[in-house]
Amino acid sequence: MDPATPLLSDYAGLPGTWDELFTSTGAPRPAFRRAIDALDAHSRAGFAVCQGLAERALLDQGVTFSVYSDQRGTEKIFPFCLVPRIVSAADWATLERGLLQRVRALELFLADLYADQHILKDGTLPTDLVLASKSWFPQLQGVRPVGGVRIHIAGIDLVRDPKGTWRVLEDNLRTPSGVSYVLENRILSKRVIPDVLDAARVEPVDAYPGRLAESLRSVSPVDPDETSAVVLTPGPYNSAYFEHSFLARTMGLELVQAADLFTEGDRVFCRTTRGPRPVHVIYRRIDETYLDPEVFRPDSLLGVPGIMRAWAKGNVALANAPGNGVADDKAVYPFVPDIVRYYLSEEPLLAQLDTWVCAREEDRRFVVDHLGELVVKAVDEAGGYGMLMGPQATKAQIDEFRQRVLAEPRKYIAQRRLELSTCPTWVEAKGTVEPRRVDLRPYILNGRDGPWVLPGGLTRVALTEGSYVVNSSQGGGSKDTWVQKPEAA
Amino acid sequence: MISRVADHCFWLGRYLERAESTARVLGVTRNLALDVGLNPRHVWLPVIIVSGEQARYVASGQGRPDDGERVQDYMTWDEENPSSIARSLSAARDNARSIREVVSLETWEALNALYLWMGSPRARVEWREDRHAFYRRIRTSMQSLQGIVRGTMLFDDAMHFMLLGNMLERAGQTARILDVHHHAFQALGTHEVIETALWLALLRACSGFEPFMKVHRGRVSPAAVARFLVVDPIFPRSVRFSLRAAVSRFERLRPPEQDDLPGARSAARLTALASWVAALDKDFDVAGLHELLTHVVDETAAIAGVIGTELLGYAEGPAAEMSAQ
Repeated sequence: MDPATPLLSDYAGLPGTWDELFTSTGAPRPAFRRAIDALDAHSRAGFAVCQGLAERALLDQGVTFSVYSDQRGTEKIFPFCLVPRIVSAADWATLERGLLQRVRALELFLADLYADQHILKDGTLPTDLVLASKSWFPQLQGVRPVGGVRIHIAGIDLVRDPKGTWRVLEDNLRTPSGVSYVLENRILSKRVIPDVLDAARVEPVDAYPGRLAESLRSVSPVDPDETSAVVLTPGPYNSAYFEHSFLARTMGLELVQAADLFTEGDRVFCRTTRGPRPVHVIYRRIDETYLDPEVFRPDSLLGVPGIMRAWAKGNVALANAPGNGVADDKAVYPFVPDIVRYYLSEEPLLAQLDTWVCAREEDRRFVVDHLGELVVKAVDEAGGYGMLMGPQATKAQIDEFRQRVLAEPRKYIAQRRLELSTCPTWVEAKGTVEPRRVDLRPYILNGRDGPWVLPGGLTRVALTEGSYVVNSSQGGGSKDTWVQKPEAA
Repeated sequence: MISRVADHCFWLGRYLERAESTARVLGVTRNLALDVGLNPRHVWLPVIIVSGEQARYVASGQGRPDDGERVQDYMTWDEENPSSIARSLSAARDNARSIREVVSLETWEALNALYLWMGSPRARVEWREDRHAFYRRIRTSMQSLQGIVRGTMLFDDAMHFMLLGNMLERAGQTARILDVHHHAFQALGTHEVIETALWLALLRACSGFEPFMKVHRGRVSPAAVARFLVVDPIFPRSVRFSLRAAVSRFERLRPPEQDDLPGARSAARLTALASWVAALDKDFDVAGLHELLTHVVDETAAIAGVIGTELLGYAEGPAAEMSAQ
């Protein structure tokens, strides 16, 4: 291919699939005209140079995640594609309303579950199914977290179907990760393709750390100005360590490990060079089951003994609250529209995927007979693991999953494979752009004053041709997500 | 500040200083070997001894101490050698990476870039083709890093711990370099011209050549050089200066009037050592140099240990002294 050719000159989407930047006839979407023209002003060769610069910068800045291949830990960069994913102002306005609604409803759902369980008692949701979640912790029932918030940070994964309708794929209400890449990707776009960014008129994303710090302080048991808030990480060998340090750094908070903390009299303290110092808010990036060996894993040496008692007494805020996993359980997901209606008396604004819950006999029967057409997911796995992609699976794999589903039906749900939308994506080996499938994870912050949506989000892209799996652990990369500013009146 | 974080700051400061010191010693020793017609063994063995690595080097079977290339290879690239440039750099980076929210972005990027360069083929090429440029690059990179630290970070406890580690390491390094060379020169019993060349090389190893000449107006003698490196009050790499700087950092961390704060033993020992070295200025005796320097080396190591238990969260006992290495 001629390296002097404009970048997007012969780009063609996939049939039967929505493309984020181009219409089905191959024309640029009108809202993105200026940005696409600016992109197309780059030749392929010129863009290859820009892409190389961006990758070099990521490595130099140490924007890496750790891979557990050896003891010291190898660091890799999360692959980045410089071609942006753009969201129009109108689309974003719709999404924003839907996301705020969803988080408000899930917040109320959790508050109810850990209190009186009205939604179960009156039969709106099946008790057995909900309370069988691995992330339901009966020992936390009756605890009302200080500040009244449980979902301080949510990441709601969205995909787009062939008609262009946004659909929720899953909710992440425990410790959603990836926001540091949103901010770092924007820095790269600014540095390497400022012309394109300027033409697109994009909402900035750099308010995020400040907003996060503010909402963390807003739930503190003491005056926000007197609050000592920290970020709790498992340490530098954790795969998301870069993000933990990034957030601590950009919020100006201390990054601590469990061994730095201890409790006394149901209060949390930090070991410092000047003796113990009280801690009021903990943005925890460690799994809740490792938080407190007194409550979750008596055999564990990790964690801070007594921290859950301090939390239950309201002496420390934990973000996110322990026990949230029951609301983002994949088997509860099909009921989220009912949850929205139940608590808010509103129709859900965001669509989601039709889902068969294998715990229900009728659904299970359908699933085992149609495994070849369905995507089956384990409810307690993430990262693209524990999954059957029916249409691409061998007979042996399908048979194996049938056995698994029949043996442990509560553990599985099934959905039709969605033709995820595509976005033009740089293909290094070919020196050009081709359509690759994407999803979108917006981030929602929630403090004492209610939720706020970051205008942007993490676009993950399946870099392998034909792949539907966008997870970084499975060959996925990321893109900068540009939410356009509304046109000035 | 958090004890674990303070520990990483302290060791970051030490390793930055150590990498610079090793690069300086190797560069200067290489020049020395070219300048004077000495048995290579007398030139290169001290380098291994200075780092406290003699036993490990011999055990590694990497080569004899008279093979300058072997020694340089071991002191530059060997990841098992805690004094090698490569190891000091990766240890400095590991410490910085564990506290990325504490070090400034500029500091991190400069250190990371140097670390990546060190692991790249470009570093090997420069090492092969222009050894002088290689050592100079390490030295000046570390010096600009120290400048970046001072120019971009808050002068808060994190900075004080880094500089405390820096200065303690520097005091120990200067003492070691002087001790080992002093020893080697005595054993040599060679004539004056060569001895003067050796002492000048020693000054260069400590970046002390020009400062010495300014103070002593060109008159070089073993006693004057030794005295300069130990007790000069304004030469920034002298033992005395480094210790005084360490004391003043420590007093920022733990003001003497706040005697309820942890760190009383560290303060007492560090101050005692600094005063003792300062007092040597009165009647400096080059005959007792070895004992003097041995005391400085042992005492700086012991003080680092006490700081570890009092402030950095180490368990009591000597085994824990090297925590964040």
